[in-house]
Amino acid sequence: MPWYFYLALKQLFPTGRFSFFTAISVLGVALGVMLLVLSTSVMGGFGHEIRRMIVDTQGDLQVRGVGGKVINDAAALQARLAQIPGVAASTPFAEGVVLLQFEDRPAYPNMQGVDVQQVNGVIPLARYVSIGSLDELDDDSIILSVQMALGLGARVGDTVEVYSPLILERLSSDEILAPRQLRVAGIFEIGHQQLDSSVVIVTLRLMQDLYGLGTTVHGINIKLKPGLDADETAARINQTLRGAGVQARSWMELNQDFLFVLQLEKNMIFFLLTFIIIVSAFSVTSSLLISVVRKTREIGLLGALGGKPRQVAACFCFQGFLIGFAGTIVGLVLGFTALHFRNDMVEAFTKLTSSEQVLTRFYQFRELPGYSETRDIVAIVVCSVVISTVAGLLPAWRAAKLKPVEALRSE
Amino acid sequence: MSTDDPSKGATRRPASDDAPAVLTACAVQKSYQSGDRRIAVLCGADLTVNSGESVSIRGESGSGKSTLLHLLSGLDDVDAGTITWGEAGPTANRRARYLGMVFQSFYLIPELDALQNVLMASRMIASPGARDRARAKDLLARVGLAERMTHLPSQLSGGERQRVAVARALMNGPRLILADEPTGNLDEHTGDAVIELLLGLARETTTALVLVTHNPTHAAKTDRELLLHEGVLRAVRPSSGF
Ligand SMILES: Nc1ncnc2c1ncn2[C@@H]1O[C@H](COP(=O)(O)OP(=O)(O)O)[C@@H](O)[C@H]1O
Ligand SMILES: [Mg+2]
Repeated sequence: MPWYFYLALKQLFPTGRFSFFTAISVLGVALGVMLLVLSTSVMGGFGHEIRRMIVDTQGDLQVRGVGGKVINDAAALQARLAQIPGVAASTPFAEGVVLLQFEDRPAYPNMQGVDVQQVNGVIPLARYVSIGSLDELDDDSIILSVQMALGLGARVGDTVEVYSPLILERLSSDEILAPRQLRVAGIFEIGHQQLDSSVVIVTLRLMQDLYGLGTTVHGINIKLKPGLDADETAARINQTLRGAGVQARSWMELNQDFLFVLQLEKNMIFFLLTFIIIVSAFSVTSSLLISVVRKTREIGLLGALGGKPRQVAACFCFQGFLIGFAGTIVGLVLGFTALHFRNDMVEAFTKLTSSEQVLTRFYQFRELPGYSETRDIVAIVVCSVVISTVAGLLPAWRAAKLKPVEALRSE
Repeated sequence: MSTDDPSKGATRRPASDDAPAVLTACAVQKSYQSGDRRIAVLCGADLTVNSGESVSIRGESGSGKSTLLHLLSGLDDVDAGTITWGEAGPTANRRARYLGMVFQSFYLIPELDALQNVLMASRMIASPGARDRARAKDLLARVGLAERMTHLPSQLSGGERQRVAVARALMNGPRLILADEPTGNLDEHTGDAVIELLLGLARETTTALVLVTHNPTHAAKTDRELLLHEGVLRAVRPSSGF
């Protein structure tokens, strides 16, 4: 080991003595790293949960007619899809906006028509129906999302009225306006704000009836075998079904905007929290500058022993690096420990402020999600080590600029 | 270390006329700018030190003794004149092997224990191996610190610190030791002991020694005594021959 690395190590971790400067500098960097790990992991957890919910509610892939055309023979297409490797299950759907009314209160939900027999192979819908049951869904009933039910004041067993565009069309040709009366068979809650406030579920047959689709459907949702890349499989399906007038797309593609916003939020948090490391790097810089002044005579001595200015500089720069390195390791340990106990901490906090209800109401998660992406962790490590090393540059430059003679003369 | 150098064994002191001097200073000038005045500190100082020779330099405070040593060590640049170490001029690369320095304040590195402070000198050349370690321990034993190797400078007395500094100066088996008032911060008794050590070890290892001191007794123990006065060096003993 070159002498300047050895000396840097010894100045930070002197033999038989505890260095407060080192401890506090390392702690500063560690806190920044800890918060970064914690927040990117929780943000990543939100993203991960939301992706999981999207897959849970929409399947991995969706096949639709090109140009918004309906699919005529869903059963035949499903049979072809089942042949394609990687496809685990599929279910047809039809969807559209309707006007829904309960006791003069209107709503304009997106109505999803699902095949009650097949849907559970792709979307674990039954799991999300919290009141009532999916089994009770027939052609004269509806399952409301929880926010919508709350907004309308509708409960299981109540009857809501639904107008579809087809009914309104008939109205314009002076026919009698007769809304469909549907009984509320259940209420579902997915935990996705948008879905929970704007989606209602009926049977595929009822939806086809309301929209005048006959036996056609709007698309087919597909569940893949685990571990497969959605985009790749979508490409393979498109290859196989070329000329059939349908196109498969992954949930990633379908929810691009939403995922983009999520990524943007995560990047913003990353950017802001990086400033904690930068601030602690400033304190490292000032402490090392003080140490350069304090050690002026020793720096002179190093010159007298044959040390070169750039080696003296390396000694101080390396101290910045070491602080960054040690701080990063401590920060990672603290961060992952905190992540491990995050729910206990949240629980304690909410108990203290008696805000348990608020948390689940607003964030839709009963537990704080956590999902650490290797990419994020690598970025955090690189950032904090680089920033800390840069923090050592100014003191290093000052030390290198010292003339040994003047350093030796200084009192 | 010192025995690795073949030239060393060949020129046992005092130097033969044909061997190059360990240190030559020729017409060295140095002045400092102080406000709008230039103060000439050295105006044509000459000095030749042969292998294994010990030379003492006395002079009033402020006469430029430290300035001269800094120039001799190559840590500072001369305004005019030349300094040579053996065949070539002083450079940072040569300094670690060629030169050992001892100062009035000992300049030990406070984070390192006595042994590591001594080893610091050899670290400047390469990571110390078992042989270097053994040599450092041996040197510390020679200066009477065998029991103090793992002590930090803060746990040592002034005299002990200076003895560590002496061991450090000798670590790389230098051709020349420059000592700038090494006893200035020590009491008389301790100072005497350190000077005895320095002279004894230098003699043993045929290292040349330039000793700046105020103490006439210490000066008298060296081979030659010089006086720095008004910017030039004058021989006091042996007298210049007039
Ligand atoms: N960097 C400097 N700038 C200006 N004057 C200096 C500087 N260094 C030394 N001097 C002056 O040079 C003279 C010699 O100093 P020094 O070599 O330390 O003397 P000594 O060691 O003999 O006591 C003193 O008058 C001192 O004030
Ligand atoms: Mg002096």
